[in-house]
Amino acid sequence: MSEIIRDANFAILFYFLALNSFYALLLVLSIPEIWEQTRLAEDEDFQRLMQSDALPPITILVPAYNEQKTIEASVTAILALHYRNYEVVVVNDGSKDETLEALRHAFDLYEIPRTYPETIPTKPLLALYRSRTRTKLVVIDKENGGKADSLNAAINASRFPLVIAVDADTLIEPDALLRLTRPFLLGRRIAAVGGTVRVANGCVVKHGQVTDARVPRRLLAGIQVVEYLRAFLFGRLGWNRLGGNLIISGAFGLFRKDHLLAVGGYDATSIVEDLDLVVRLHRYLRSRKVRYEIPFIPDPVAWTEVPESLRVLARQRERWQRGLVAAMWQYRGMLFNPRYGRVGLIAVPFYAFGEMLAPLVEVFGYGITVAGLALGVVNVPFALLFILVAWGYGMLLSLWAVVLEEVSFRRYRRVGDLVRLLLFATLETVGYRQCGVWWRLRAFFATGGRKHVWGEMTRRGFETATK
Amino acid sequence: MTARHFLAVVALVQGVLLAALLILIVLNRWFRLRRRARVHPRRLAVEGVMQRWALGQADVRVVLAQLARLPVSLAVEALVSWSARVPGDRWRRLATALEGEWWARMVRTNSRSARWWKRLEAARFLSVAATPADTARVLKLLRDPHPAVHIAAVATLERVESAALVTAALERLPQLAPTVGAYYAGMLRHSRAVVVQLLLTRLSRTDDPVLARLTEFAARLQEPALRESLTALAGHSDAEVRTQVARALGAFPHPASIAALTRLVEDARWPVRAQAARSLGMLADPASLPLLRAALRDETWWVRMRTGLALTRFGPSGRNALLDAEVGADPNARDMARLVLGLSSQALAEFAA
Repeated sequence: MSEIIRDANFAILFYFLALNSFYALLLVLSIPEIWEQTRLAEDEDFQRLMQSDALPPITILVPAYNEQKTIEASVTAILALHYRNYEVVVVNDGSKDETLEALRHAFDLYEIPRTYPETIPTKPLLALYRSRTRTKLVVIDKENGGKADSLNAAINASRFPLVIAVDADTLIEPDALLRLTRPFLLGRRIAAVGGTVRVANGCVVKHGQVTDARVPRRLLAGIQVVEYLRAFLFGRLGWNRLGGNLIISGAFGLFRKDHLLAVGGYDATSIVEDLDLVVRLHRYLRSRKVRYEIPFIPDPVAWTEVPESLRVLARQRERWQRGLVAAMWQYRGMLFNPRYGRVGLIAVPFYAFGEMLAPLVEVFGYGITVAGLALGVVNVPFALLFILVAWGYGMLLSLWAVVLEEVSFRRYRRVGDLVRLLLFATLETVGYRQCGVWWRLRAFFATGGRKHVWGEMTRRGFETATK
Repeated sequence: MTARHFLAVVALVQGVLLAALLILIVLNRWFRLRRRARVHPRRLAVEGVMQRWALGQADVRVVLAQLARLPVSLAVEALVSWSARVPGDRWRRLATALEGEWWARMVRTNSRSARWWKRLEAARFLSVAATPADTARVLKLLRDPHPAVHIAAVATLERVESAALVTAALERLPQLAPTVGAYYAGMLRHSRAVVVQLLLTRLSRTDDPVLARLTEFAARLQEPALRESLTALAGHSDAEVRTQVARALGAFPHPASIAALTRLVEDARWPVRAQAARSLGMLADPASLPLLRAALRDETWWVRMRTGLALTRFGPSGRNALLDAEVGADPNARDMARLVLGLSSQALAEFAA
């Protein structure tokens, strides 16, 4: 028995050594990426491009479900973006609240006939509206079919070759769209591009824009600031050098419409539609030997409200994990498949064994350690040292994300905010991380049979986010 | 070494790294504050002197002296931002005066650097301060493999007239992604005379593999001198070329354009037919009305849509054609006529745009 426990301990140690080495690799790869991206972000020539007619026209897709509190602020902010040629398609997905009324009242909507074919099948459309006050705005009212179905309806209605999906609870910075088109302007073969999503909780929001970036004082929201920095600033930047990202945030990602149509749009049965879509795009483009890139660029920023209650956060994380498990199962044919290049050989295995299985291995590790301690196979100082190293590594990664933020974009200018960031980076590994493991673990038992509709979340509204 | 020793070493290394990261964060803030305190007054001084010089109240030598006090990257940034605000002749005098500056010579040398960001800086500098003597350097930068560098370099065409540069940019144009191609096209418009001459030659080579892209660019120029060449391509075997020709001819009200569009609206490919219908609407020649009535029964939705919209530009006769179709026998034409007649004037204006 003690032999088994010892071997299991070594297996777990090896697993975490391999996983952490990979994180270290991402960390190293993120350095030249952020160097290049900050150089390009500072380039004034893009201001010149903004004045030219060269910018690709973009359709902004805004699915909305029960968003009556935030919809006006979100759409107003989107309509104030610094971009020459774009339209906004808001889809009211059969909201039970007054979302459509809020839109009708705020933007003086009038009904118009449909003037486009239904390329991707969706739930029936109830009505199509234009605004008398904002000519760029189109509103679709349709039967409830979930976020993916709403996005598909918006893609059908879009007129432009690039589309960006934006959550109605997300605030896009005025120049973010312009920055997001940079890879397209640089002439690379871009299939999709993702920008940074930051936490709006605690920030000062005026007229639908974040005017003062602050780190929230509340523990749960504050820790998520660090978590988002880590996920975006070094995780996704590192992936740029390893064959492209497998996730473009559903809250802020720009896609070529022809590719979306070719893969049939968003999968309405998927639990996490953004992950599913990007994996399908990779599979489609790789199998057809199309040269493409799906990069992440850090300077375009969208702000989102994150959960501040454990219950809602748990539900969100469980849903993300369920989506990951379902996607990994659905696209298992890509795993270690050289036909899909680095995506099949590196990205998919990492997400399958590193991200998806990590909570299982971690809980197994805790169990084995406790059993080892009880049987005397593992001594107490060794166990404590192991936990110290594991937590220390997590802390190191979080601090590295703070460093990248400090040397590059520095959104949080106040010393107080920096101190809070460091504090939350330290506290994250104790308690919060273990809760995350538990929520993700629960997802394994909830996977299968459950159809995704909307990831519901209790919102406070942006203008009250600072209170 | 036992596993315990190994973990102890790792913990120690982690501790050192954590401390180093904290120190790095503090030092980074401190350096930034110090640099800002040092450079900010100089930037303000450059802004002030540039403003006085633009108004003719300061000598160019004062501008040069203040620019030399800035770090090179900031000096280039100041030049780029001021270049749009100062009239051409005056700016050319500054560009000539900059040739003797040590830092400007250094930036020019960077056009051969192995580092792309150095070449980008050189390209940005030359885009606002190039003189005819820089043509070879700009040519090299125009052929740079890094997209940011050649995009910055092509902006030189706004200020320097050179057939060699225009030729190089036009050669590169068909290989570029559509967005960047459109940006290049915008820059090439500044040298219209040279571009038109080059295009007349290129459009005559019907076996040119990049003819579709050149036709697209020629269409954007809306240059009457190119009409004949474009009309000649209406029968080209490449459907993309025919589509671009169909789009371009809408800008040239000429019997030859209408004759070509009459053929193109019955093309085998629907994108060609859709563009031809649109262009016939732009020209609004009454003789083409029967063709558009027929096109309203086209098998493809987009052709019918474009035709319906084109008919709205014919005034009462077009509207009558739509009203006839609305009660006609063809269900497709009936639906489309109903749809177009129901569109608001605002929606029609947006479609026309």
